[in-house]
Amino acid sequence: MRIAVDIGGTFTDCVVEDGATTRLVKSPTTPDDPVRGVLDAVAKAAGAEDPAAFLGRAERFVHGTTLATNVLLTKRGAETGLITTAGFRDVIQMRRGIRNLGTSMFDQFRPPYEPLVPRSRRLGVAERTLATGAVETAVDEAEVEAVAGRLVEDGCESLAIGFLHSYVNPENERRAKAAVERAAPGAYVVCSHETLSILGEFERFSTTVVSAYVGPAVSAYLGELERRLGEAGFDGSLLIVISSGLMQTVEECRMRGAELLVSGPAAAPTAAIAAAAPLGYASVLEVDMGGTSFEVCMIREATVPTTREAFIGEERVATETVDVNSIGAGGGSIARIDGLGLLAVGPRSAGADPGPVAYGKGTEPTVTDADLVLGYVPADYFLGGELRLDVDRAEAAIAELGAGLGLGAVETAEAIFETVTTSMANAVTEVSTKKGHDVRRFTMVAGGGAGGIHGAAIAHRLGIPSVIFPLSGPVLSAMGMLTMAVGQELSKVGVWDRLTVAPQQLEEAFAMLEAEAREHFARLGVAASDVALARSLSMRYLGQFHEVRIAAPAGALDAAAVERLREDFHACYLELYGYSLPWRGVEILEAHLRATAEEEAAAGVAPPGAAVAADLEAARAGERSCLIGGERREVPVFHRDRLGPGHAFEGPALIDSEASTILVPAEFAARVDERLNIVLEQRRGAGAGVEAAGDRMTMAS
Amino acid sequence: MSAPGMPPRDREIDPITLSTVWHGFQTTCREMRHLMTRTAQSFLMAQLKDMSVGVWRADGATVAMPEGLLDQFLGTRFAIADIRDQFDDDLRPGDVILTNDPFHGGHAPHLPDWGFIRPIFFEGKLEYFTLVRGHVMDTGGSFPGGYFPNGFDIHAEGLAIPPTKVVDAGSERRDVMNLIFNNVRFREEMEVDCEAMIATTAFAERRVHEILESYGAATVRRCIDAMLDRTERAVRAEIASIADGVYEGASATDDDGTVLDEPVWVRVKVIVAGDEMTLDFSESDAQRPGFVNRIFAATYGTAVGSAILGMDPALADYHNEGSLRPITVIAPKGSVLNCEYPATVGGSPVAVGEQITEAVTEALSYARPERAIAPWGKHRGDYTSGLDTRNGRPYVRTSFDYDGSAGAMHGFDGATGPASFGCLGTVMRGNVEEAEVRFPWRVTKLEVVPDFMGAGRWRGGGGVDWRALNEGGPGRMATGSSDGDEMVPKGVLGGADSPRSRTFVERDGELIRVKPHRMQDLLPGDLMIKLSSGGAGVGDPRERDPERVREDVAEEMVSLEAAARIYGVALDPETLEIDAERTAELRAAAGPRPAIVIDEERLTVSLEREA
Repeated sequence: MRIAVDIGGTFTDCVVEDGATTRLVKSPTTPDDPVRGVLDAVAKAAGAEDPAAFLGRAERFVHGTTLATNVLLTKRGAETGLITTAGFRDVIQMRRGIRNLGTSMFDQFRPPYEPLVPRSRRLGVAERTLATGAVETAVDEAEVEAVAGRLVEDGCESLAIGFLHSYVNPENERRAKAAVERAAPGAYVVCSHETLSILGEFERFSTTVVSAYVGPAVSAYLGELERRLGEAGFDGSLLIVISSGLMQTVEECRMRGAELLVSGPAAAPTAAIAAAAPLGYASVLEVDMGGTSFEVCMIREATVPTTREAFIGEERVATETVDVNSIGAGGGSIARIDGLGLLAVGPRSAGADPGPVAYGKGTEPTVTDADLVLGYVPADYFLGGELRLDVDRAEAAIAELGAGLGLGAVETAEAIFETVTTSMANAVTEVSTKKGHDVRRFTMVAGGGAGGIHGAAIAHRLGIPSVIFPLSGPVLSAMGMLTMAVGQELSKVGVWDRLTVAPQQLEEAFAMLEAEAREHFARLGVAASDVALARSLSMRYLGQFHEVRIAAPAGALDAAAVERLREDFHACYLELYGYSLPWRGVEILEAHLRATAEEEAAAGVAPPGAAVAADLEAARAGERSCLIGGERREVPVFHRDRLGPGHAFEGPALIDSEASTILVPAEFAARVDERLNIVLEQRRGAGAGVEAAGDRMTMAS
Repeated sequence: MSAPGMPPRDREIDPITLSTVWHGFQTTCREMRHLMTRTAQSFLMAQLKDMSVGVWRADGATVAMPEGLLDQFLGTRFAIADIRDQFDDDLRPGDVILTNDPFHGGHAPHLPDWGFIRPIFFEGKLEYFTLVRGHVMDTGGSFPGGYFPNGFDIHAEGLAIPPTKVVDAGSERRDVMNLIFNNVRFREEMEVDCEAMIATTAFAERRVHEILESYGAATVRRCIDAMLDRTERAVRAEIASIADGVYEGASATDDDGTVLDEPVWVRVKVIVAGDEMTLDFSESDAQRPGFVNRIFAATYGTAVGSAILGMDPALADYHNEGSLRPITVIAPKGSVLNCEYPATVGGSPVAVGEQITEAVTEALSYARPERAIAPWGKHRGDYTSGLDTRNGRPYVRTSFDYDGSAGAMHGFDGATGPASFGCLGTVMRGNVEEAEVRFPWRVTKLEVVPDFMGAGRWRGGGGVDWRALNEGGPGRMATGSSDGDEMVPKGVLGGADSPRSRTFVERDGELIRVKPHRMQDLLPGDLMIKLSSGGAGVGDPRERDPERVREDVAEEMVSLEAAARIYGVALDPETLEIDAERTAELRAAAGPRPAIVIDEERLTVSLEREA
């Protein structure tokens, strides 16, 4: 039996795979003591079974948490100090420029950036390694001890060490770490070469400082979780989802706080692949719309994409991270009128408290309120009836907002729906076109509590032909955790001549990484034969600043193989950017290895079967008055639990389940497949293009 | 409120389509920049982001201008007008026009800023133009990279390319490109970057086509009309909220690089009348023999962009032609801000470009004290070229690492980090590690120097001490992109000026001072030292919250001495506790504010001695 638990802002999601059956549970998050929420969710999933016996049966417990992100964004991390190369203490304050990405140059009235580590706690020591790896000035351990002592005296409990060029030769950092551990026993100590061995001091130091800042809280939390799960009867293996989309043991995660920053969302793309791959789709747009944010991930060739260019809040975190883009658009996003008289939705969210107006406390209208007024959300069956929604209250708040636009309540609700859909559609476009891909060639997998209602609308807007709503959609991330692999990403920056690197040098780099990976898995008790190794190389045209990752073959590399890699690069570059430069030299900068333990993947959600209705009519739960295509209509409502393989119907329709509602717009037809996915396909209108009435999107021929 | 002669518009355009189209164009521009940074190989373009992009309507009206260097793109309508005149009916889908010429219809700020302009057709009709302009590695002339003083005339500054079709209906004109590349250094590198720029204009065309295909050209036209009108109304309301009157500002560069040590002045009268604003530069100095001259399109771009800065930040993401319509710029022909062929212009993006921003923001700080912005640290740039002895190849290097920081604003301290006013934080610094791999200079220091900024109720960001050792062969540096040895960023509303900056080359234990706008030979083993002051302050430093002063001292941004003598805050030297009584005394005592000075032998920064 395997258990996966994902702690979100409002709900803690739990998925249990128990032999042939799968259980999905949502339970409130308990911010004051998140472990309690985890245990509550497990108890709820245990049902009638004794929770201790239930936990005792689990071989594996996978966990994802936004704890590290919350610690970072709310500035509740450890008192942290930085020991760095003398003369460079301000690198993390100066960053790469004074403005955060995405802030307009005409928007200057902002407070200056404040680094996590104040200047008085950033201290330099005499040491220097050169770009070649040669140690120009050896670190003086006595000086490091003295500096560490000063920082501890000043109240630091966590210390980051970041020296120039440590990615090519970590000798000085290693010796400094040993000195710090002598001078500051008990302190949390991380080095930049261990955190992230990449070229570029700002990104490396910044990531290391973030790791030091969130690390102690992460370590304490994971320790606590491990202990209390044990006390509750669990004695299987506890695995934590890391930002790269893999899983690691608690022990490995304790000193790698920065790698837990995308711990939750990193799992959803895996679930999307698991849902789409059996249907033959390899190009997938995974979207997840929750209460406060909308996440989108573009998946090609059934592979989870990763990036090193993430910012978490104001902090640059350059570790390999699942490339999930997030915007402030969710069920709780607040609608308002901006300075130009335009309706704007988000990024501010009503969150769980006060929540949407319809929950009874909030006063600012949200997306959920609009969805309710439009009839998409059931007032009496929200979360299976756990929460009754106040339609009148929501409508009054929306009417008030609409007065400023000269629109009535329903029209305003429609405008909110359209606006948030547009924002999300733009986010999807940005993710895909940035990489040169046409969204219309992708299949959407929609998840999250609000993804059911908005998924098809986004797809319609963008001309995406089909949308899959997996049974696990409302708990997509937790589901993904059951299908993830244990492993790690390893990289080696080349000190070779980047243009003329010899096959043998690449071979050596891979051999080094593979030895490191095998050693790692040996510690976890995984046999070498069960370790899957995937090589890749970072390549670019001579002199560029960004690389393209090209998959490299296993086994011995010869000159012809390296030449083929260069050809692959030209082809990939052409696809990405619309041109290539076959006459220009190609540099190879880094060797990468993704090492994972091979094991049987989870089967996915198995059909419970019992509730499935014999015919479609029996799956109907009634009708709801909805706004469809600008008109009020009575729309059939189906109960998801009663829908089974082969059931098919055309929109408009609604599908209610305990955890979420799916809106099937008029332009789509829905069917249920063997795995109980609801699959929506845009109906073909006249000709090959989508030219349905009132449709603004025309498909390119 | 629409300008006369504008096409009739549909006021009933639905707000959702409007905002979708609006964001579509904004997003296109952001993605264009992204594409450039991923594909260019020039350190300046890819890392430092010395480039600009945008989309214009066929009549030259600015549709989207979210990001860039003001002088590189806000005046693009002048180039579009001349291109339409020059090519008339000869513009076709798939054409790309290259120009870097300040004169002859190119309207480029200076020769290194190569601009690729693509007309965008839809359904047979010219609808839009897009531009990618970047500072290229080299543009010929007597010194690599640009920004060298003392050219005889514009021709000495490099190859001047008037608007020239380099791609004709989709096919590259190889003979023309060959002629061009044959006249610049680093040919292969230049080809890579030009390909990247051309590909980025093609990308913009695809994205604009997608918008047009989704909504139809007529609807998009109506949306743009509505966008421009809405922005115009908002900007007019901003201007109307300023009291009518004439507000003055002035700033000077140290010299013009040819006539040495004689400041060159930019003077502006900002005339606010109702909901319109005129930026009148008539009293600025006349065109100069040296390379600080500016063409009108560049003056215009910097001037209007600077005027927009103090406006409601809520408008920041939405500026377009509508923002420009209520603002008129006057600079008489033959002045340093509207120079005539064959004037040299090589240094003008920095000097006198930054002076325009300084003068306009100074004047507007009197007009709207609650939106006051103090000038930022001066750009302390140089172009260094020489031989990389590690691989035997020549190199040219420039950077923003060694620039001081942002000036204060009413309500906020200036941010600490590489910044100069003309760039408004658009450019970035490179990593020291990356620079050391690429160039034979080892950076030995990049650190903030306490007190090395303008004090104030809100103070400027910190000034920096940057040092690097020449580990390559002999070379030369041109300091044409430096300024501020003499003429400093001025504090506003009683804030302190930023201190003077200095550059030295240390050779065999001797310090050689290198002023801005000069050439300097370099030898192996030379240590280059730049002491670049930070931003200026806003408001009297004696009104700064004493607690903030205490924090600055604890953070080693401000010295104990400056706390007492400049901010009037007495702190216990051990515990840093505020001595309230003594602070009140210090703040009550009127006295001259001591200046911050560099000791040119010890290279330290300290307060001027008490008289």
